[in-house]
Formats: sequence, C-alpha cells, structure tokens
Amino acid sequence: MRDVLSAEWLKFRSVRSSRLTVLLALGGVLLGAGLAQMAAGMYDSASPAQQARASVAELEEVVLMLPLLALGVLGVLAMTSEYATGLIRSSFTMVPRRWPVLTAKAAVVGLIGLVTGPAVVFGTHVVCRWIIGDRFGGLYQTPFTDKLPLLAAFALTVPAFALLGLGLGTILRSTAGAIALLVGLVYVIPMIVSKFPAPWDEWLGSVMIIALPRQISGDFTTPGIYGTSLPPWAAAGLLAAYALLPVLAGLWLLRRRDV
Amino acid sequence: MVRCAEATPCRTLCNVIELKHLTKRYGATLAVDDLSFSVRPGLVTGFLGPNGAGKSTTMRLILGLCAPTSGEALVNGRRYASLRRPVHEVGALLDANAVHGSRSAYDHLLCLARTNGIGPRRVTEALERVGLTGVARRPVGGFSLGMKQRLGIAAALLGDPGVLIFDEPVNGLDPDGVRWIRDLMRTLAAQGRTILLSSHLMSEMALTADHIVIVGKGRLIAEATVAELTARYPTLEDAYLTLTASSVEYGAGRS
Repeated sequence: MRDVLSAEWLKFRSVRSSRLTVLLALGGVLLGAGLAQMAAGMYDSASPAQQARASVAELEEVVLMLPLLALGVLGVLAMTSEYATGLIRSSFTMVPRRWPVLTAKAAVVGLIGLVTGPAVVFGTHVVCRWIIGDRFGGLYQTPFTDKLPLLAAFALTVPAFALLGLGLGTILRSTAGAIALLVGLVYVIPMIVSKFPAPWDEWLGSVMIIALPRQISGDFTTPGIYGTSLPPWAAAGLLAAYALLPVLAGLWLLRRRDV
Repeated sequence: MVRCAEATPCRTLCNVIELKHLTKRYGATLAVDDLSFSVRPGLVTGFLGPNGAGKSTTMRLILGLCAPTSGEALVNGRRYASLRRPVHEVGALLDANAVHGSRSAYDHLLCLARTNGIGPRRVTEALERVGLTGVARRPVGGFSLGMKQRLGIAAALLGDPGVLIFDEPVNGLDPDGVRWIRDLMRTLAAQGRTILLSSHLMSEMALTADHIVIVGKGRLIAEATVAELTARYPTLEDAYLTLTASSVEYGAGRS
C-alpha cells in the first residue's frame, strides 16, 4: 500500500494540471480580497442611513465555490484521466488487486483538499477581516473563536468534495459525466430544490452539500438560502456520506469491472 | 524446445502462460471462444489473427484486466490477479498510447515502478535500454508512436520479468526500431524468457517468432512452429492468409 501511495503521489505531482488546479483553488483568496474591497468601497460611499442597513454575505462562503469545483474536478480527473488515456490498464496490471490504487488516490486527493480548503477559507477570512475592518456593523470583528466552527466546516467541505469527485469519476469513468454531476450538485440541483413548494424546499435544501457547513456549525449569522433542518451531527454525517459513499461504491465496482 | 513438465515443483519458476478453455463473452458476441494453448519459455511466440479475432482481449484476460466468462488463464501456474508484485514475473505492453501526455517519460515509468517497489535506478536503466535517455525529462505527449512503443517496452522490462506480453509493439517504429525490437525479442527469448508477441506484419513475424498461434473469431485456428508453417506454405504470410480466410470479419474480399 505504501508503494502504491508513493506512486499516486508522484502521479499527482508530475502533471502540470494538478498544480494549476490547486493554484486556481487558492485564487479564491484573491477573489475574496477583490469582493471585500468592492464591498468596503460601496459601504464607504453610502450614506450613514444606508450604512446602518448594509450587510454583506460571508465572503468565505461565496469564495468557497472556487476551491470546491477546482478540487472536485481534481478528484474526478485523478481517475477519469486514467480511463481516458488507457493508463488505467497499466495501473491495474501493476496492482492487480486494484483497490490500493483507488485508496491511494483517495488519500492523495483528500490530503490536497485538506490543505487547500483551510488555506482558502482561513486565508479569505483573514483578508476580509483586514479589508472590511469594522464596516457592516462589525461583521468581521467577531472573535475568531466564534467563527471557527463555521470556517472549519466550510474548509472541510473541500476535501469532502474532492473525494466526491473521485468517487463519481470512478463510478462513471467519464470526465464530462462526472464533472457535470458535480456542478449539478453544487449549482443546479440546489437552485431547483429551492423552488420546490414548502416544506420540500426546506427538507431537500437541508441535504444539499453546500447547505451542510452552516448546519454543522449551527452558525446562521447570514441567513442560509438553503434549508436548516439538520442537527449538527446529522449534517456532519451527511457530509461524510457525500465524501465516502461514492468512493466505497467505486471500490466495489472497480473489482468487478473489466478494463 | 524447452518444455515445462506438468505438475513439477519447478512449475512456479518456469515462465509459462497457459490458457485453459478460456472464454470471454460480451453480450451476444464471443470475443474469445474456448481458447487453449500455452506459451513456453525460451521462444518468441507470435500471436496472429485478423482484426477483431480476440488477440487483445486474450492478452487482457491473461493480465487479469478482464474476467473470463469461463475457463482460465494462468501465468506460472497462477491467476495473474493473485500476484502481489506482478512486475517481477510478467511485463506487458498493451497500448503504447496509454500514457498521460503531460507527464515526462521518466515520471511515467517511476509512477509504474513505485507501485511494485522499484526505485529510480532501475527506471534510468530501462530508459537507457530502450534508447530514451535523451528525452527522459520531456513530456510524453510530444513523443512519436515509435518513441511511445519504446517507452512501453521500458515499462514492460522494469521488473526484469520472465514472461513478456507485447501487443503490436512494432507499429509506428522506423526501420531501425523494427530491427531493434526483433533483436530485443530474440535476446529476451534466448535468456529463457517467455515472449507472447502479436503483430500484423507477417514478414517481420517470420523473422522474429519461433512458434505461431493463429486465432480467428476468438477460436484457435493453428498452433505450429514457423518452420512447420513455412514448410507447408510458400511463406508465413501465405500460411496466415489461407488459415484465416474463413474468419476475417472486417475486410475487402480476397481473390
């Protein structure tokens, strides 16, 4: 297993697109800085009455889309690029038991997500604190420890999403299919679900992957646009299920399918 | 001819591929149909057949990439899938294009090598052996098919295995490369290794192989030495065309 792990680590490192994807995810901090700058500018040019009513979305959540999709795609490609090139045959010829290949990929992709996610979320938070200062009624001046659960939950969504991508890539074996499904899970399905009649919008909205961080932390400072009906433990369990179930299904399929 | 005695203790050591009633069905089509033959050490065994005859599927079945519908394929008396570090027993080149274009030749080989606990020194040696040292750090995407074939052969040789399987390794090689492959195959066989080699180039096969297995529509058509075939027919090509005449699936009519 250690051998396969070091091989998969090298596979990740030795392709330029991996670095670009991680850079793109880290670009979330720049995006956050830009948005914070814009929000601060608008706040400063508003009248005191407007300022009193002004609020800003938690920019860590806005920016989160970038590392989510970047790492999700990284997870997908870790598997589907091997199917697309045919390299998967070499990989499985070298490791006939097959499961170590996916397990090692999960470890690599999960680790990259575990580093990138917090880097983007906490990086954005620090930058926003600095740029926004005491504007918007001190939204960015709450003690860091109060914000920690929400930020940590945002950050953990990134490795979970990377693993989800890997799992979907393994199940579907198609880059286009898996990425379409990922984007659907982040953008399209939550949008459709939010238009459902009550109480379905609330129930289904609560199980959307991007609705989970707020429910995990119980921090609803900015009103969530999705559902809020899950207790923290259930939301955390669901996030783990999103991350792990597709990978487990992939492990099961991997052993049975011809390549 | 080196022969492997049945059921002797040497069995796991001697390099042999055995197919026993190997059958693979995809829906209604039988890709491989009750195929039985063995590939013995010390010889280059040419694996011939028209397009769609089941050669590549057979190779994938031997390597455990596909599961047989019935029958079995054994390498050194064991199913390939049961090997822990197969690269020391079996090396294979199935598709030279199966590489990630932006990875360097060196990294590509090292990725494969590491899975079986092989270090960078052996990778450098393998690259040297196939003549790719000068381009080792270049992305594989820019390689010609011939260079990719050499890279694939380097991958097959990584673990210094006793059994080698090559699916059309001569495709895309220049005359130098064709000559090089022929000599390499002869050398590897002379070292007592088992070589299963598929190709559509009959004249090349006549020069390289000792033993010939011909399949058509998934079934075994003929198994003979090159000498036997060329004694009965004017050339190996004539032998091949006559024997496979009834099992060509895709082709213009022959006169």
